[in-house]
Amino acid sequence: MKTKLLFPNVCKGIGLFLFLSGLFGGIAMIIWELSPVFFDINVFAIVEDPVLSEKKYFTWIENNILDEILGSLLILGGLLLAFSREKTEDEFIATLRMESLLWATYINYGVLLLSFWFLFSLTFYWVLILNIFTLLLFFNARYYWILFRTRQAADHEE
Amino acid sequence: MRGITGYYLEPDKRLTMKNKVKIHRVVQDLTQEQLAGLVQVSRQTIHAIESGKYVPSTLLALKLAQVLQVDVHTLFELEVADWKS
Repeated sequence: MKTKLLFPNVCKGIGLFLFLSGLFGGIAMIIWELSPVFFDINVFAIVEDPVLSEKKYFTWIENNILDEILGSLLILGGLLLAFSREKTEDEFIATLRMESLLWATYINYGVLLLSFWFLFSLTFYWVLILNIFTLLLFFNARYYWILFRTRQAADHEE
Repeated sequence: MRGITGYYLEPDKRLTMKNKVKIHRVVQDLTQEQLAGLVQVSRQTIHAIESGKYVPSTLLALKLAQVLQVDVHTLFELEVADWKS
């Protein structure tokens, strides 16, 4: 199965860099509660729904954009890493990719379903935040692990 | 959940469909790498086919047969288990 929806192979390295930057930056931000003043800027909000004020539409607000930057790095990096062509892209690799995507989807929603019933309040809020990224994380972990094992098996044979 | 990836956690399990790709590759004095290059796939794909962990598409099977200079039915054999879903 050939597809035109994959990124060129060169994007894989870029994706890895962006993904790891977002990942380590995000972990650092959570642990040390980073919110540098440098990132406080005015941003355009389609909807702004603050806790103790009226909802506003199409308005400018002040917001610290560090979390938006790190989240974007994780998503963009994760997508580039997941969906860049291998050097030799063939039907077997396409099948590995598809099966890894299926596996990651099952695991992601399985974890989320368990979280619905066993985690509550602020802990569940964090689950929802992390769930934005976990599908890509699970997919990349699974896909690259299987790719590593297949290459190892092939090298062993030779 | 069956699938190719499951078999990479249990290396001795073969999916199905016997094939003689390795035999005919050796007869033609080709390495996996060389055969992979001739049929335009990766070496891992050839390895996966030879070890029964992957069943190639019709197109790839025909290419393999042509490169190895045999009939496709000589390379790939249906088994009883192939008729079960």
